[in-house]
Amino acid sequence: MIMKNALILLGCPESPSQTPMAIYASYKLNNLGYDVTIASNPAASKLIKISDPENNYINKIIDLDRCLNTLEEGQYDLLLGFVHKDAAASFFVTFDQILNTKSIALVFEKDEKLIDEYVEMVKSSTNAEILAVKAFHNPNPIKIKLDKALENI
Amino acid sequence: MSFCLDTYLQQSDDYEILTANAGFKDCAMIIRFKADEVVNVKPGESVLGVRIIGIPPIPIGINEDKGTILFPYTKPCHGTSVIELPIDKDEIDALKKLAIED
Repeated sequence: MIMKNALILLGCPESPSQTPMAIYASYKLNNLGYDVTIASNPAASKLIKISDPENNYINKIIDLDRCLNTLEEGQYDLLLGFVHKDAAASFFVTFDQILNTKSIALVFEKDEKLIDEYVEMVKSSTNAEILAVKAFHNPNPIKIKLDKALENI
Repeated sequence: MSFCLDTYLQQSDDYEILTANAGFKDCAMIIRFKADEVVNVKPGESVLGVRIIGIPPIPIGINEDKGTILFPYTKPCHGTSVIELPIDKDEIDALKKLAIED
């Protein structure tokens, strides 16, 4: 069986829900048969690496800039992006347009106006499945949305 | 060796940051306002060896008299900035070939 590849795209690690959700998403996608790579900046990578010291859930982490520079259409079968800042929406749309593959945007923020703004940025330029939810410290609302989406993948 | 914008910005003083830590839409507006000419490109296009990040159509400004371009530069924790950099004439020609419809 040919293994499918998934890319988890992280944003700024300022949002407390990002690191646990990245590890959880990697665990779920591994169980669904995906070979998972996480693309992140150095600050977000450190949080992930310290949280999973024996690589039980995380297989590969790649530097965000290096990943972008070498990214090609079809390189991954699934893009899962964490969209909780304006910059994260820009990165997600860019990765989506280059990869031209199935994509899911996890949009979360504590401010509902910002959620609407990020959803609009993603919606206007991609065919991504958008999972939008109000969340900041508590990752459970994001987890519930992701679990439902992954049931249908 | 490929061009590294981060290194260039650290080691040069011939560029200008027109705005920093902003949202993409504001940066796009500044580029359209400040540039004599604007070329719209797709996200991921390579300009000066840098892959352009943003929401399409992404404006790249050209000030041909000054020999500079203005483009959005996004970092995950610092939002989007507008950078004005000197550029060669042949690189401006290459940039114009990337143009998409607005």
